[in-house]
Amino acid sequence: MEIVIDAHNVSKVYNPETIPVHAVNNVHLHVERGEFTALVGPSGSGKTTLLNLLGGLDRPNEGKIVINGTDITDMKENQLIDFRLNNIGFVFQSFNLIPVLTAKENIEFIMLLQGASKKQRDERVQTLLKEIGLSDKTNTMPSQLSGGQQQRVAVARALASKPQFILADEPTANLDSKSASDLLDIMAKLNKEENMTFIFSTHDSRVIERARRVVTLVDGRITSDTATFQISH
Amino acid sequence: MLLTLAWRNIWRNKVRSLVIICSVAVGLWAGAFIVAVYDGMAKDRIRTVIQEEVSHLQIHHPAFKEDFEPKFVAGDVDSLTAKIVAVPGVKSITARSITRGMMANASNSSGVTVIGIEPASENKTTGLQGRIIAGDFFPEGKRNPILVGNKLAEKLNIKSGNKVVLTFTNTHNNLTSGAFKVVGIYQSINSKLDGTNVYVLRQNLNALLTTPGKAHECAILLNNDDLVDSVKLQLQAIFPDLKVETWRQVSPESDLIATYTTQSAIIMVVIIMIALAFGIVNTMLMAVLERTREIGMLMALGLKKGKLLTMIIFETFLLTLVGAPFGLLVAWATVALTQDGIDISAFADKGLSEYGFSAILYPILSWDSVYQIIVIVVCAALFSAIFPAIKAIRLKPVEAIRQ
Repeated sequence: MEIVIDAHNVSKVYNPETIPVHAVNNVHLHVERGEFTALVGPSGSGKTTLLNLLGGLDRPNEGKIVINGTDITDMKENQLIDFRLNNIGFVFQSFNLIPVLTAKENIEFIMLLQGASKKQRDERVQTLLKEIGLSDKTNTMPSQLSGGQQQRVAVARALASKPQFILADEPTANLDSKSASDLLDIMAKLNKEENMTFIFSTHDSRVIERARRVVTLVDGRITSDTATFQISH
Repeated sequence: MLLTLAWRNIWRNKVRSLVIICSVAVGLWAGAFIVAVYDGMAKDRIRTVIQEEVSHLQIHHPAFKEDFEPKFVAGDVDSLTAKIVAVPGVKSITARSITRGMMANASNSSGVTVIGIEPASENKTTGLQGRIIAGDFFPEGKRNPILVGNKLAEKLNIKSGNKVVLTFTNTHNNLTSGAFKVVGIYQSINSKLDGTNVYVLRQNLNALLTTPGKAHECAILLNNDDLVDSVKLQLQAIFPDLKVETWRQVSPESDLIATYTTQSAIIMVVIIMIALAFGIVNTMLMAVLERTREIGMLMALGLKKGKLLTMIIFETFLLTLVGAPFGLLVAWATVALTQDGIDISAFADKGLSEYGFSAILYPILSWDSVYQIIVIVVCAALFSAIFPAIKAIRLKPVEAIRQ
């Protein structure tokens, strides 16, 4: 299987010179293409920090992170921004859509940054809106969408750039059970049909139940790494 | 998309943005109107200098203006006039005899500049007759008539019909005097000249100076201002031994005051825009700080610092430039509504006339001024954008998203 994420001995220490806090401690993690992985653990266990490191939003104090064969550990800031744009999709807990752009424009925004043509953008946006079941909300502003619908648009936005994988930080934390279930259905479908790799940080048992692999973090260390289902691909 | 995003971002907080847009509009209206008033004053002053005082060009003997010695005549009036009138572009000419001396009545005396004129050509060139406020403009049959400025008349307590004595030296360096009868009192915009210049008939003055048929000065009015330099060159070629000067050379202080007046108005606009820029900086900083999380998210998704910088600059420019056309439009309308003049004689009549300015202001908003104001506004917008933009690009996505 093709390895998408390869994290070697990754550590992240906050306040290393005063009161050191080991948010992530000597973590080894390999993620293969097509995985549907949940990072679980109590609050403060380092789930979000690990996601930030894997997503190139933060830099480790030790170790290295290789994404799809490219070592991103020492990349310059602008290179890293480019790398994120073309390789990594993000879904945030609080949806984080751009409030002044419509659903279509939010999805299109990433592709504009990539320099995609109008035709490419229009086709991709229509496909993605159809996949997330919001074809009728093309020109709707985020404030007029429900939380679940906003998070679905956020997933479509993450997919728009055709990333290597999607990192989702507590994607269902702000959703009711129906919306959370709908969102998980969509992500599972994308995982199955498009072989899209998903890595979630979550407390939500509904997400953990749907994950094919569950990685447990405690005090910044991986304490267990369990394949709950056989990956179908 | 960045421009669309910037435009929509500024309307997130409508009240705050409208306050800034209105501030820019009001500031620019005030600034542009001040520029228009000052520009009007400067142009009015130049028109006064050209049409009432100096004319476009003057010709003298090269040594005459050093000491106003009557022996330094420019030449024979008929010959000078004939040659000058033949130059294309010349509208009118007046030949003057000039000397400095004393004017006295029974109780007072004062130093004066005595200007000998031929009334018809003088009136055609400088419109002197139109400035008579008492008496007449050289009526027929009066012996040794003299026109006195209002300020000098007040100083010496002279009225129309009074007699005065002029004393000065002639070409032989002999002191000579003549009795003149005040036939009229004039008042011009420039009160300084009204306190020193008196007008007599050229032939009367020439008789006393012993310069019959001669003139010390030829003042020339042209068909338009643009001809000044070319006609000057032609006249200098015709009269190589005489000094031909433009109005700027004859009255450099008027040119300086006119230029300085316009520049000081532009400086006021700069000050207004600097004050407004701080308000814009404050608004944009608030806008950036309120959106820290969103900006972090945009950077996480792949928005490069250069594009983020562009977006913030767009927002600042839009915030600044949206108000600018309104301000300029209202300023233009105000200028149009005040075309008949703004009379400020109740506040500053004497002060302005001391410097040769009219107490009635005629605002002029020229395209040159508008371009200068636009450049100032753009600079202010750029200045206002720098600090918020730097603040935005210094954000670290991972920290910004956490907020």
